[in-house]
Amino acid sequence: MAENREQRGEGRQLFCRVITPEEVIYDGEADLVIARIADGDLGVLVDHAPLVSTVEVGEVRIREDDEQFVYATSDGFFKVSENLVQVLVEEAISVDEIDIDAAENRVEEAERELSEVSEEAEDRDRVIKEIERRQRTAENFVRAARKYREG
Amino acid sequence: MPSARDLQRQINTVKNQARVFSALQTVSSVKFRKAEARVKRARPYAENVEEMMRDVARSASGDLPLLAGREVQRVAVCTLTADRGLAGGFNAQVLRRTVSLRDEKDRGALQVASGRKAVAFFRFRRVELAEVFTGFTDNPSYEQAREIGRALTRLFEDEEADEVYLVYNRFESALNQRPVVKRLLPVAPEEDDDEDSGTSYMEYVPDAETVLKRLVPRYVETMVWQALLESAAGEHGARMTAMKNATDNANDLVRDLTLQMNKARQAQITQEILEIVSGAEALSAG
Repeated sequence: MAENREQRGEGRQLFCRVITPEEVIYDGEADLVIARIADGDLGVLVDHAPLVSTVEVGEVRIREDDEQFVYATSDGFFKVSENLVQVLVEEAISVDEIDIDAAENRVEEAERELSEVSEEAEDRDRVIKEIERRQRTAENFVRAARKYREG
Repeated sequence: MPSARDLQRQINTVKNQARVFSALQTVSSVKFRKAEARVKRARPYAENVEEMMRDVARSASGDLPLLAGREVQRVAVCTLTADRGLAGGFNAQVLRRTVSLRDEKDRGALQVASGRKAVAFFRFRRVELAEVFTGFTDNPSYEQAREIGRALTRLFEDEEADEVYLVYNRFESALNQRPVVKRLLPVAPEEDDDEDSGTSYMEYVPDAETVLKRLVPRYVETMVWQALLESAAGEHGARMTAMKNATDNANDLVRDLTLQMNKARQAQITQEILEIVSGAEALSAG
């Protein structure tokens, strides 16, 4: 650890934090962080230029030594600064921990809610957008869980 | 002077009360520990969103209405209290702070209330409530923060209010919760401290305005979310402390009453002995 701290001082070690409103999901060293930001997939290595962007619904992959951590996320924000990558998302879950049934239920619930939105609701567009966002996030959980567990 | 029997009855009543207070204290301390852990776990997100908001607001040149202030004619105030009482000054102090803010900014300010205590307070004073949120203050979810945040943003966007303030208890410890006022909207960039961010180069993808557009609603939600968590932890802490004090007071009272009762009983016995002795003396003298 002492060695790593020293490396951090010299700016040679990349760190990553994945943070949600409830808790910090990942906080540690990383060799490579891959996320889908506003203009496509971005891989961040050590000494990356400072950058702020949005994160799209999808997955964040963190490679550290020989391990790979994959988190399915909602949309949110992305920041690289001084060798610290910060992913701020409302929801993030390790693909190993996704409850596929629960996620599928959420998709169905969102679909049902969409069909029940009243035609006259004053902020109809906003409500629909919000539900669709939840739906996309849940669909992403299902997709990510299937993809990484089978292969 | 009350009789020994009356005092005994009073002691039993106070003892029962002490038992109830102590049970409430136990319940609150369990809830408090959970809420405290939760607010601490959640702080990094709020801090980072706030920091990002500051950075982006400084770099963005667009005139997004949520960011740029306009002339202030009408103010909206959102007050967070608990749903329930028995928490010492917890609810009263945040309501007092709200009243002084209203006096200072706009007596006719639009009022939004979260928590039954706030609702009751403003209804009693015939202050009309623009929005009401209840039923979750001791264990809030992000969904509720989103709802409140959206309602507040809408008040600003529809130009019903030109400034939106949030008043809540910031959790410091179980003994201490401080009522604070935070201006949510407009999100004006701070002018003073640009020594670090002002000079450092930051690239925005695709550009600062786009990031900002998405960030502002999330920022408002996040600030409400953090306030809800702070308030929930404060509520449990305040109730725990209030119930501890109540238990201690009740126990002190039991001690005092027991002493009084013993005195009364002793006096009664002395009285009886005196009566017997003087009766016996009267007989022997006769």
